[in-house]
Amino acid sequence: MRGGTTFRKVSLGLLVAAIVGLATLPMIQRYATDGGFVTNSTLFNFTQMFMLIIVASSWNLTGGFTGYVDFGHGVWFGIGAYGTGVLMSKLGWPFPVAVAGAVAITVLAALLLGGPILRLRGPYFSIAMLATFVAVREIIRIVKPITGGGIGLTLPPYLNRPLFFYITLILAVVVVAFTWWLRRTQFGLTLIAIREDEIGADMRGINTTLHKITVFGLSAAITGLVGALWAYQNTFIDPDIVFVDSRTMDVIIAVILGGLGTVAGPVIGAVVLFWARDIIWANFLQFHLIVQGIVLIAIVLWVPEGIVGTFSDRSGGTTLGRLMSKRKGEPSSDEAVGSPDDEPRTVSS
Amino acid sequence: MDQLLQALVNGVMLGGFYAIMVLGFSIIWGVMGVINLAHGEFVMMGAYGAWILQESLGLDPLVSVFIVFPVMAAFGYAIQRLIINRIIERPHLISLLVTFGLASIISNVFKLLFTATPRSVEASIHGLWQVGPVTIPKTRSMILIAALIIMYSLHMFLKHTRLGKSIRAAAQNREAARIVGIEINKVYAITFAIAIGITAVAGVMVAPVQPVFPFMGPPLTLRAFAITALSGLGSIIGALFGGMLLGIIEVLLATFIPGIGTNVGIVSSFVILVIVLVVRPQGLFGGLKAATT
Repeated sequence: MRGGTTFRKVSLGLLVAAIVGLATLPMIQRYATDGGFVTNSTLFNFTQMFMLIIVASSWNLTGGFTGYVDFGHGVWFGIGAYGTGVLMSKLGWPFPVAVAGAVAITVLAALLLGGPILRLRGPYFSIAMLATFVAVREIIRIVKPITGGGIGLTLPPYLNRPLFFYITLILAVVVVAFTWWLRRTQFGLTLIAIREDEIGADMRGINTTLHKITVFGLSAAITGLVGALWAYQNTFIDPDIVFVDSRTMDVIIAVILGGLGTVAGPVIGAVVLFWARDIIWANFLQFHLIVQGIVLIAIVLWVPEGIVGTFSDRSGGTTLGRLMSKRKGEPSSDEAVGSPDDEPRTVSS
Repeated sequence: MDQLLQALVNGVMLGGFYAIMVLGFSIIWGVMGVINLAHGEFVMMGAYGAWILQESLGLDPLVSVFIVFPVMAAFGYAIQRLIINRIIERPHLISLLVTFGLASIISNVFKLLFTATPRSVEASIHGLWQVGPVTIPKTRSMILIAALIIMYSLHMFLKHTRLGKSIRAAAQNREAARIVGIEINKVYAITFAIAIGITAVAGVMVAPVQPVFPFMGPPLTLRAFAITALSGLGSIIGALFGGMLLGIIEVLLATFIPGIGTNVGIVSSFVILVIVLVVRPQGLFGGLKAATT
């Protein structure tokens, strides 16, 4: 189809219009009679949606661009949430300082863990992250004096829905714009090179370890920031509500539904998933995780390109789309040359 | 000293369960190259099988094994034909995503059917043996004995039957196996069925010593992964030693470090996994190569 630039201009215009439209919601609530159609729960829902967009975009940095698919991304959210929780309720720090502290703690944790974990690759990395998630949840349960263990922590209540709405809206715009920009920089191209052929990138003199740890820390920082905001918004945290297994799954589904390894994918996926889930929740609360599991399997098997990949005419497609059409043995992001599968597998005693 | 000896015995008992629990995971990965993140959920289904048969028919877990194995093997066969077969030749990411979804479906269906309330199962053989300073729980030693029997049977099956040889051939080189006339898809489906059957039997065996609930799976999956990475893909003897090693380490830590309780098991297995993969990427028994860059 001709007229790609027109299409771009139109979609950019629509995007700006959508952001401006969203930004007026709290105003409507404030100045219209009886808040118009906007209620506190509308704002809350949108806040949650922005958070999903932000976390999905940050997950896409490691999972989509760099090819390191993280099955325990919720751990950064959890550390961010607990960082704020502990700093505010135990040390009495004010909110902005506590958030900064929480992000610093998350980045520190990511850098410490990233050293050893990023040496693993493919499925080993994915499962080591899943194990990190479960392990950190248990550690938080065990260190009762600091984290309150299973009883949890109560933060000073602060119910200001419009504030959280605006913070997360701005953050979502900034983070998505940042990933768009990053994808076009030398750094972003290097990440793609690592995904496509890590050994080759290494051979060409790229410091792959440094790039991987940087993007890992960056992704953790963004998610940790969301966790920190979430904790204060929720005013109560315990291991079970912060470290929910489904949180990581939400993020993964959002990204691959939209299109793994694309800039727009996480945004579109998060929006679609969020409202689809809202409908599922409203009608079949009990089934929602079952439905989500089915959706995940269905997307991977039948629509691996995601929404963006399916509706765009760009050649190349999304990361998952290319993986799905790829057989074992061919080099790809997931299985670099010399992966375990190149060895003959044996079953023996 | 007595405490140490007791901890070692307990560790070996726990290791017996881990060994039989990990077998199916290791075989599926070794033969099909599929990393089954729903593995713990199949253990959970076996444990619920033991509970259902006891509640409805009053069966002892030792008897339930003979019902649960064929039922779950049939279920495994169906799952393989429906889903797993489509992802066998795909990169690992695909199998991780699909089985991750499968795990969520299974555990939440069970929560819907049986609620999240932990259930317990009674074994007819229970109580303790007192050997010198060491007490040996009878139920746990039954698990260990059953694990050894199952491992030996599986070993004989793979070594000496035609089907077993086909499975090993498919694992070694699928193309060559196809050329010599092995129906590879059939072999895969049967392998998956047997692996799931054994996994469910592990669930039946562990039901009397551990609460049975829908979300017991993920920690078991992680342990299965850790043990397999330690011991090598599809290795029966490796599964035995890897399971024992992890069992002993977990019990020793829980015994000698105060205040951390049993939840630390998953933390320790994770730490061991990462240390081993980073320090010795080929695994303790040389099973895995190039796990790191």
